[in-house]
This record gives sequence, C-alpha cells and structure tokens, in this order.
Amino acid sequence: MNAIILSVIIGVVMMFCSVFVPNKNSYRHIASIGLVLLLAGNIAEMHGFSLFHINTKGMLSYDNFGLFFNTIAIASTLIYVLLSGRDIQKIGTYVAEYFVLIFFVLCGIAILSSYNNLLMLFLGIEILSIPLYILTGSDKRNMMSNEAALKYLLMGSFSTGLMLMGIALIYGATGSFNIEVIHAASPQQGANGMSELSVSFLEIMGMLLLMVSIGFKVSAAPFHFWTPDVYDGAPAVITSFMATIVKVAGFIAFIKLFDARMLGTSVETNKLIGVDWKLLFAIIIICTLLVGNVTAVFQQSVKRMLAYSSIAQAGFMLFALFSMNDVAKEGILVYSVAYSLATIGIFAILVKMKDFTFEGYNGLGKTQPVLAFTNTIFLLSLAGIPLTAGFFAKFFMLESAIKTGTYLWLVIAAVVFAAISVYYYFRVIQAMYFKAGDAAVVEAPTMSFKIGLLLLAAIIIYFGIFPQALLSWFYF
Amino acid sequence: MNLVYLVPLFPLLGFLINGLLRKSLSKSLIGIIGSGAILASFIVSILLFLQVKEQGALPVEPLFTFINTGTFNIGFAFQVDQLSTIFLLIITGVGFLIHVYSTAYMHDEETKHFGRYFAYLNLFVFSMLLLVLGANYLIMFLGWEGVGLCSYLLIGFWFKVDNYNVAARKAFVMNRIGDVGFLLAMFWLLQKLGTLNYADVFANYKNLSGTDITGITLLLFLGAAGKSAQIPLYTWLPDAMAGPTPVSALIHAATMVTAGIYMIARSNILYTLAPLTENVVAIIGLATAILGATIALKQNDIKKVLAYSTVSQLGYMFLGLGVGAYTGAVFHVMTHAFFKACLFLGAGSVIHAMSGEQDMRYMGGLKKWMPITNITFLLSCLAIAGVPPLSGFFSKDEILAAADLHNPVLYWVGVAGALMTAFYMFRLYAATFLGKFRGTHEHHLHESPAAMTIPLIVLAILAVVGGFIGIPEVFAKDAHWLEHFLAPVFAQSKALQPEHLGDATHELMLMGIVTVLSIVMIVWAWRKYSKYQPAAEEETGLGKVLENKWYVDEAYNAAVVKPVNSFGGFLKNVVEKSGIDGIVNGAGRFVQYSARQLRLLQSGQVGSYLLFMVLSIVVLFLIFWNQGIIIAFIQKIF
Repeated sequence: MNAIILSVIIGVVMMFCSVFVPNKNSYRHIASIGLVLLLAGNIAEMHGFSLFHINTKGMLSYDNFGLFFNTIAIASTLIYVLLSGRDIQKIGTYVAEYFVLIFFVLCGIAILSSYNNLLMLFLGIEILSIPLYILTGSDKRNMMSNEAALKYLLMGSFSTGLMLMGIALIYGATGSFNIEVIHAASPQQGANGMSELSVSFLEIMGMLLLMVSIGFKVSAAPFHFWTPDVYDGAPAVITSFMATIVKVAGFIAFIKLFDARMLGTSVETNKLIGVDWKLLFAIIIICTLLVGNVTAVFQQSVKRMLAYSSIAQAGFMLFALFSMNDVAKEGILVYSVAYSLATIGIFAILVKMKDFTFEGYNGLGKTQPVLAFTNTIFLLSLAGIPLTAGFFAKFFMLESAIKTGTYLWLVIAAVVFAAISVYYYFRVIQAMYFKAGDAAVVEAPTMSFKIGLLLLAAIIIYFGIFPQALLSWFYF
Repeated sequence: MNLVYLVPLFPLLGFLINGLLRKSLSKSLIGIIGSGAILASFIVSILLFLQVKEQGALPVEPLFTFINTGTFNIGFAFQVDQLSTIFLLIITGVGFLIHVYSTAYMHDEETKHFGRYFAYLNLFVFSMLLLVLGANYLIMFLGWEGVGLCSYLLIGFWFKVDNYNVAARKAFVMNRIGDVGFLLAMFWLLQKLGTLNYADVFANYKNLSGTDITGITLLLFLGAAGKSAQIPLYTWLPDAMAGPTPVSALIHAATMVTAGIYMIARSNILYTLAPLTENVVAIIGLATAILGATIALKQNDIKKVLAYSTVSQLGYMFLGLGVGAYTGAVFHVMTHAFFKACLFLGAGSVIHAMSGEQDMRYMGGLKKWMPITNITFLLSCLAIAGVPPLSGFFSKDEILAAADLHNPVLYWVGVAGALMTAFYMFRLYAATFLGKFRGTHEHHLHESPAAMTIPLIVLAILAVVGGFIGIPEVFAKDAHWLEHFLAPVFAQSKALQPEHLGDATHELMLMGIVTVLSIVMIVWAWRKYSKYQPAAEEETGLGKVLENKWYVDEAYNAAVVKPVNSFGGFLKNVVEKSGIDGIVNGAGRFVQYSARQLRLLQSGQVGSYLLFMVLSIVVLFLIFWNQGIIIAFIQKIF
C-alpha cells in the first residue's frame, strides 16, 4: 500500500513543483529524492511497517514476491533517473511533467504487483499505460514521436478491449472478479486434453483473452507488432523506461494471474482453472524468440535492434510462465534485475550518441573508452555470457523449464536463439572496438555519468558471480 | 596462534609488489623485496617447524570455503604436519638462498625484466607453498598448476630466443599430460568418497575397492611422473635448462620436481594398499634413474649433465617410494635439494665467469680462478656420488637398502646407477675445474661476487652435514632422527607393511662394497678427465646413442608429435574449412534470409498489425481447443 499511495502523492507534489520551482535542473533531483522516499516506504512495508491501513476488501493483497518486485522496479527507476535524468530534461519544455508521469507509471506497477481482483488488474494496466501514451508522444514536434504515440494508443486500446472482454466473460462464468474465487470455482481434476474437462467454455475464453492482452503488454509475439514502431519512435530515454521497468511489470501481472499455487487453489502446477497452458505458452515463446532474435539480426539502427532484442528477452522471461515453479519465480526476479539494469545502461549510452546506427558506434572504444567498456559489459549481460548477471538470469529460466520435465526441445531452441542473439549484440561491440571511425557523442559525458555506468557494470558483474545475493535479499 | 597463512602470504605480496611495480622500483629494492619475502616465510616456517616438533601436527587451518555445492564442499585449508614442515623448510630455505644468488646472477638484466624475474620467482614459491600446505588434493592441484605455470614462464624467461619458448612449451605440454592423470584421480576420489580432504580420504580408504585404489594411485603417479620428470614424461626437464640457472636450481632441481614425491608420500597409505602401483613406481623410478645416468655420461653441456643427473636422482626417490621407503625418499629429496642446488648454482657461477659458455669442452682448470666455487662444487659432487659421511651417502643408501630388502635385483641395478653417478659427476668436475683451460677468454675468468658465493658455501655445508639427521640403524640405534620425526605421517602405512629386519652385517658389507666401488669410479673419472682433451672425431656406437639421449626425443617426435600435428592439419584444412565452416556459415545465411522475410511483416500499418493479431488469436484458439492432438503429434516426432 505504501508504494501505491506514496507514488501518487509524490507525483502530485512534483506536478506542483513545475509551478513553484522555476529551476528546471532541480526537477530531476526532486524526482530522485522522491524515488528514494518511495523505495524506503516500500522496503519499510516489506518489514511489516505500513503507513496506510485501508481495507481493500480483498482487492489488493501484499506478499513478499510482489513487494520485492516493487523494490526492484523502484530501484531500477532510481538508477534510470540518476543516469538519464539529464536526457529526460532534454525531451521538451514541460520537464516536471515527464517525471510526474513516471511516478504515475510506478503507481500502476505497484497495483499490478498486488492485485487480487481482475478490476484492479484492469486499473493497474490502464494507470500504467496512459502515462506511457503521453510519454511516447512527449517529443511533440517530432512526427515520429507523434506517430508512435498514436499507434501505441490505438493498439493499446484494442488490447484493453480484449482484456475487458475477457474479464466480462470470466465474470459471466463465475460471477466474480476475485481471482481466488475464480480459481476456486474451477474444477481441479482436469487431465490431458479438453475432452475430460468440465470447465466452462466462457471462463477459458476469458482467460485466453486476458492472456493475449497481457501478452500484448509484454510484447510477446504474435502480439508484438506495436513494439518496434513505438520503441523506435519514442524518445530514446522513454524507450529505455518502457523497455525495462514497464515491460517487466507486465510479467509480474502475468505471473500473478497464472500462478495458481500462489492463490492456494490448485496443488497441481501449471493447471490453471484445470487446463494445461504449457502448449500455448510454448508456442508463444517460440514465436517471440524467433521474431525477436531473427529480426534483430537485420537491423541497421541500434535503437531498433534493441526494440527487437527486448522482444527476444521477453521470450526468455515467458519461460517463467511456461514452467511456473519456484525456480521460475526466483528466476524472473533475477531476470528482471539483469535485463533492466543492462538495458538501462545501454540506453543511457545510446541517448548520448549522435548517430543511432551501428556505424555511429564505430571506434567508440577509442573516443569514449569508459562508455564503450561499460556498454560491452551490458551487452555481454544481455547475451547471457557467464560472469554477468544475464548468464544466471537465462540459466534460471532454462533450469525452471528443464525441471518441468517436458518440452526439452523448447529449451534447446531457446539456447539456439540465445546463440543467435550473440550476433547482434556483438555487432555493437565489434563496431566499438574493431572498426575504425570516430563515434561522436552529443555532449561529453560528465564524470558522474561515467562513474554511474561503472557502478552499474560492477553491480551486473557482482550479480553474475553471486546470483544468490539477490535472492537472499528476497528471502531476508 | 597459527601462523601458517603467513607462509604463502609473504611470497604472494612479494609477487604483487615486484610484479606491479617492476618498472618503477630500483634493482636493489626489487632484490630486497623478493628475497626478503622468502626470508620472512622461512622464519615463519622455522617457527612452525619448532611448533610441530614440540606438539606434533597442527590442526587443519581453514581459511575460507573454496567450493561449495550441494554434494561436496572443499575448504581452502592449510595443513601443517611433519611432512609439510620439512618441505616448507626446504622450499623457503633453499629458495631464500637462490633468491639472494639471483640478485647477483641476474644483475645484467634490464630493471623491468629483473622485476619480472623476481615476481615470477616469488609466485613460484607461493604456488609451491600452496602445494605442500594444502589440506586437500584440490589445493595441492592449485599449487601444482601454479608451479607449472611459473616453470613455463621462467623457462621461457628470455622469450626473445625462439628455442627457449619451444622448451617452455614442451615443459608445459608434458606437465599437462601428467595433470590429466592427477585430475582423473581427483574425480575418481570424489566419485567414490565424495571428498578430497586428506584426512577424510585416508580415514575412509576402506571404502575403496582394490581396483579403485590401484587406478587412483596409477593416475596420481602419472601426474607425479609429469611433474617429477619420470619415464615417459621426463624429456622436458633437460630442455628446461633454457631458463636462467638459478631457476634450474630452484625449480628444476630442488623444489618443483620433487612435488611428485611429496604427492606420493602424502598419499602413502593409498600406495601401500596398491602393490601393483608400488611395483610400477619402483620399476619406472629405477629405469629413469638408469636412463638419466647413462645419458649424463655423454653430455657436454654442464647444465645438461646436471639436468640428467636430476632426472636420475628423482628416479631414485621414486624407487624409494615404490619399495615403501617413504622416509628415505623424503630424506633424499632434502639432501638432493642441498647438493643439487649447490651444483646448479656452482654451474651458474661457472657460466657467469665464462660469460655464458656452457660447454665443458671449452672449460678446464677453473680451480685456479674460482676457489670457492671449486671447493663447494667438489663437496657437492662427493655428496651426490655417495661418499661417506656426506649427505648423499645416507639418503641414497637408505633407499638402496630398502630396495635390497624388497628385491636384490632392484638393489644391484640401483648400485650400477649410483656408480655411473659417481663417474659422470667427476667427469663433470674434472673437466671443468681441473687440467688446463681450453677456452679462449682466459682474462675474463673471475670468482663470483659474495651474493653468489655465500649461498654456495651455505648449501655446500648443508650438503656435507645434512645426512646426519638420518643415520641408519646399523651405525647407531635410534639415531635416525628424520624417521622418528616423520613417523606419524607414515604410521598408517607402517602398520600395513611387513616388518623387514635387515641383517646388519650384510648391510654393512654391501655399504662397504658400494663405497669402495664409488671411490674407484671417482678416481677413474678424475684421472681420465683432468687431462681431458675433447676428441675431434665424432662418437660412435653406444657413445653416440647416449650423446643423442637414446633418441627418445626423436622417437617422440615421430610417434606422437608429427601424427598429432598432421591430424591437427587435417582437422583445420578439411573438417573445419568444409565441414564446420560450412554449417556455421550456412546457419548464418539462413538466419539472415529469415530476417529479411520476417522484416516484411513489420509494415508500419496499424490496420495490418491488428489484422495479424486477430488472426493469431484465432489460430491460438484453434490450437488450444485441439491441443490434445497436437501434443500427441509432437510427442511422436520427438
């Protein structure tokens, strides 16, 4: 509860800052302080200290998993603002508003990590999405940005429609929005195939529609079409935020919806409302990995490559939903951290570049050694090379899938796709170090920016050597 | 307080300081840091030794958990007992002397190379200390690899000379072959016992079957054969003489090459339980001793003679291990460290004086110019030749006596080797120091500086008196101090070995015969080579075979190196180029092709996106309602 309410309060306070604080440079400092407060509030709640006692009548529930995810999201946002705050300022004139919208997105994330009721899920998704539509179009004199925002809104509305339709169908079948009630209303003895099932057709249709609409939010193929266009059109700083924290939040919503055990209604794993969802998830994973990895190979712009790479990474994160066991739930936390931190770092560097194409990076190793070095570590982490956090992230995901004991071919395919991903990540490294050129940056990066990057790289390597450290915080 | 961690810490610090600051420190400072680090270790080692002498083995000192997985747990722990303190004293004591010697010997190097040299040397001592201090096989292996690396780096110290790099590579590869054995033995132990800690392994040896023990010990011996230059892996050691002479003294005579003896002495209980392996060890050891000695008879390079002599002496140590005389083997390690280090350093002193010349055909009469080197070299030669009461006599005799109890054949073959030793050592001595100078630069000759002669004197004294800690039973009852000291380490084995009581008169008689024969050999060599003039014509017959080291290197080249190289060429040119490259490039082209096609889907039109989405949803629904069939289909395929 702390995170939901504090984020709104801080957001509103920031909104007034734009009126009362004339100095634009101070906004990002205020935002950083606000994020630290928010982080403190959330950590306090993890220790059982809640500022607000509101009876939500079971619509929201707080467990360690959700709260810990909140911590990750807020901390990542803090790192993001610290690294890229200057660049957020540069988007346009209404600087404070951009930060305000980020806080509102965080509010939506906090709801998504604690919802227990489909209405809250809907609310959370909308609170999360609407500020993003605005942020996407925040560079309002840029046609690309406008086009992206409009596309995002149109397609987002379509997915919202699907979600509402799904919720309505489920309500029709079970008479409730509460997830626990919905699961309780389902038969437990479902076995192989549909024929033996007596689950209401409406309920399953509803669940499928929910799956599609959240799949849209996390850009799982074949519902990913908006992703490259929107990520490419939005200002690069905003893309960074969307591709990391927001996307990962979608996964948490997804997991809460499909984790039947978390709700204590089904002992058998992977049998939500008595149906085995593995095959569908397997198909979605294959499509996502295929589209993400293969299309990324052919991109000329690093920014667009990163958009596809974020689809590819989503394919790996979907393994958590596919296997839905303890390893998966721990793994998605590790994955969230590894993926978000590395991507934030890469985008922070990308924003500084004059030219977003691969050629633009030529010779960065000579002109900006610190940027090139840290960028290399971030890219290695995304590619899942050992000694970086990304390796263990992928490792946990694949381990969780192997533990389910089926669909070994899916794991093999994922490894092959991970190998393909090395190609396009290393293209950047190759450009930075092995190609002649003088990569130009927009402005010389400050010392604090470089130190921030180095610290971020150090964190990634730290988690790559001691992945347990992260999980032990989770269980503290 | 347990000081054990300080022992390896000092050399490690020395390595870091000298390694990192080699360009900014002065030569004298580098020398002081490098030698001082070893001296500090030596002092701590003495303290530890006194402690162990007083109260027996110290408890295992765990520093941190090294590897921890679900099923097994390996701690980074040090074990100080009687065996490791003896090795500690040898390594740090002899090591310190050689460091001091090096400050003078290497003085002509550039400062940064000088620093590099001492950094390597300190790193070597650090690794060697790890090797003997570790409380489990893995730590030993870490040290094992560390010394291998340092040996490689130091053999190739003058890396601008191509041949030296080849020698370094050869040493590394030969050692790696042995390492495979060591690794497999460790895996085997882990598989059967789930632990690598000495204490646990030796306490639970009963859980190992006979095959296990034989296999493990044979594999460990393969490792030992690589590191300690035994047949068939000995060929690297003579080539390793490419390194600076103090390195040969420290690594390739006194310490590293004895690691294999340490390993087997440490695992003595396993070997005692594997009679087959014991026989293999004894026979290989003896064969190496003879082979090394025969080759040493005909070498002309002063360092090569010493190298083959080392191979041969190591063979004796393995003979001792093989016949169950563990104390004797360790004893010989110690005395050999003294006299062989002294000989190598003496050779270094000669080479220094001769401005780099190593061929003894161009030496002679050096006695006149180098009195200290001469006398120390002579004493060490007497020690290695086994003249009583010098140290080599006692240790070699102990091994041979044990071999005699085992099987008289081993004894007499061993004696033949010992006589050859006496001969080739005095051939070396006489050709170098006696007679007339045969070289060209007579005016260059000079005695070496004090930093080189003092270590020589100390080592020579040790080579003379070092044997008195192991006086055999036949001379005085209970006078064998070393055996009493080491008894706890070998207690388990001792209990299992049949008690052999040698006949004292028989033993004394043999001792007398061997001594007389050795002295005869010495006199013969002395007389023959003090007026030595190198023969103009080439050697023929057996002499030629020996001069060419039994053509073993050539045989290895033809039998192993060339086939492996051509197989490598085949893999590179045929398998790699057309096979693997083809597959990889094909996969790459396929991905690029698919990428081009998939890209077309991203048209930018919201309408078409939505259409695709709706179509996909429909397809997903269809799949979902028919998943029973699809799963059955997939299972049929995979």
